[in-house]
Amino acid sequence: MIDLIHVTKRFGAATAVDDISLSVARGELCVLVGTSGCGKSTTLRMINRLIEHSEGEIHIDGQQIRDFREESLRRRMGYAIQSTGLFPHWTVARNIGLVPRLLKWPAAKVRARVEELMALLGLSMEEFADKYPHQLSGGQAQRVGVARALAADPEILLMDEPFGALDPLTRESLQEELRELQSRLQKTIVFVTHDMDEALRLADHLVVMHQGRIKQQGRPLELLREPTDAFVESLLGGEDRGLKEAALLPVSQRMLPLGPRLLARERIGQQASLREALSLMLWRHAERLTVVDDDDLPVGELSLRRLVGVRSDD
Amino acid sequence: MPSEHPRHNVVLLSLSLVGLLVWLALDTVSVAPNRIVPGTSHGLAESLGWGGVLVSALPLLALAALARRPTPKALRIALGLVVVQLAALPLWLSLAAHRLVDPGAVGARLGIGAGVWLLLFLLLMLLVELRSRLAISRLAGVALLVVPLAVFGLCLTQWLAPLALWQEVQGRRDQFQGAILEHLALVGVAVGVSLVLGVAAALAMRRWQAAQRIGFGVLNFLQTIPSIALFGLLLAPLAWLSAHVEWLAALGVSGIGWAPALLALVGYSLLPMVRNTFVALEAVDPGVIDAARGMGMSRGQVFRQVRLPLALPVILEGVRITTVQAIGLTAVAALIGAGGLGTFIFQGLGQAAMDLVLLGALPILVLALVADALLGALSDTLRPGGAE
Repeated sequence: MIDLIHVTKRFGAATAVDDISLSVARGELCVLVGTSGCGKSTTLRMINRLIEHSEGEIHIDGQQIRDFREESLRRRMGYAIQSTGLFPHWTVARNIGLVPRLLKWPAAKVRARVEELMALLGLSMEEFADKYPHQLSGGQAQRVGVARALAADPEILLMDEPFGALDPLTRESLQEELRELQSRLQKTIVFVTHDMDEALRLADHLVVMHQGRIKQQGRPLELLREPTDAFVESLLGGEDRGLKEAALLPVSQRMLPLGPRLLARERIGQQASLREALSLMLWRHAERLTVVDDDDLPVGELSLRRLVGVRSDD
Repeated sequence: MPSEHPRHNVVLLSLSLVGLLVWLALDTVSVAPNRIVPGTSHGLAESLGWGGVLVSALPLLALAALARRPTPKALRIALGLVVVQLAALPLWLSLAAHRLVDPGAVGARLGIGAGVWLLLFLLLMLLVELRSRLAISRLAGVALLVVPLAVFGLCLTQWLAPLALWQEVQGRRDQFQGAILEHLALVGVAVGVSLVLGVAAALAMRRWQAAQRIGFGVLNFLQTIPSIALFGLLLAPLAWLSAHVEWLAALGVSGIGWAPALLALVGYSLLPMVRNTFVALEAVDPGVIDAARGMGMSRGQVFRQVRLPLALPVILEGVRITTVQAIGLTAVAALIGAGGLGTFIFQGLGQAAMDLVLLGALPILVLALVADALLGALSDTLRPGGAE
């Protein structure tokens, strides 16, 4: 869907992005992660031509982005940024309807679309449609920002640290919502962040950047298991890597079928992460947990030995 | 929420006590048999009688008492008292005229004393203070003055015929109206021209770095030349132009008169206009502009739909500053024969006739205040998200 082929960006003598190649498949959530100044935002902004690349080629659906008019290229892509960039002089509804109006949709269709999106992002129409951005909380404003990015139903969504300015609780719930939206809408998303936990939680495809280059890319678990060098390793969490990996794996992957023994008292859902399971064991001083399904019916059990990955469970 | 209010409102307390002091201690009016002879001053008791002293002092005492527990309710009552006193001032003057001016004496004049002027000033300060405490909009603040002004108008037609200022107006009715129109025309054209030029200059400065440096340099320099000197400097070149270019002369351009005045006014108006427009356009949140472009708005759309509307309140602020400044400067332009209300000020100074000076100065003050309030209110209503 999006292909960057040997792309380089120079600002004068400085090279911000140095010969990177990257492919994002349709429906994939690709996260660019790295320290500040590593070129991740520049890379994102080259995709919608807010920054023109100096060398190489960028393709959308096999077509060079320079073949499009700048404006029409951008109207095909949703764009959400950290500061939300909501227009302070427009109401929430008008902000969300921006791109559809730029695309000259009829007014009734715009209105219907705005309603649909506000419902999708859990913003009640009566409460929020006529509010101005300064009347919203950070989380609400960012929801409106995402709704605006989705307004013209673009196939591609570019997100530049959209949750960076939010408190941890709001950030986590928005990450959760984004994952869920993604599984429903199947957008192709390029997401920039410097927060490794956020990156691991969201990414299908994780790209670690450093000093304008791609250090390593692949599935999050691959990177955690086999970092190619010390930088990637330390960025991925160093000594916390075990816990970070555990956070990505569901309990169902390590549990055993119910055995002849008595059920353990402590229960955990099969969709919970191994990290949550470990935390529960530590907290309750329990070596075994009963794994339950969504209806709270026992489906298996998890021992500490299984959890940490010892094969045999004697 | 009693804890949110300080126990005393010091501003209210001191303004009302000082007001009481000047009202009781300073001259209320002066009476002169004609325009030439200096008048005799009269204190409060002579002017209003002891009953009048008591009645007129009570609201001020009440204000001071209200200042001790400034709850919102008390402040609203205080605001009412201030408006009532403003409306009462012309009535007290009428009473003084009735008591002190012999109705048979033709040409007898009633001058307004220091006590009245100072109390008027202090009451207006109180109005400003209470308006901001109660978060009343500027427009509503102006509306509060309607009643006192109406009472003043009524008194003028009924009982204040001997008022010296009024006699000066009566004697020069046509001249007075003409001067106001000239004044407004000069200010209006100067502000209009500098708005057009200023916006164009600000846009050019945003595009070209060099223009920005040179532009602000020139404008800053222009601003430092004293106005009289600038009028003088323009005299020679304009006189030469009108002597050599026929159509300019036909237009009425000459070394003195409206042409140099207008040029100088535009020159002075440009700096605040350009600076505000420039800063306003630059100060728009870069995140908003980034989002606008990232959403696929063209440069023109970003400017018209986002940057300009967001900058408008600050640009209008520039228009407000420029207008108020130009209203004052135009008074000086009377020196080079440009007309306007300044004419009365300089005539009055020449004849040592204070009432004539006031005839020029007071309308200028009122014009400046009205322009300030109206443009300020306009800029408030244009703030994003409506009134805040």
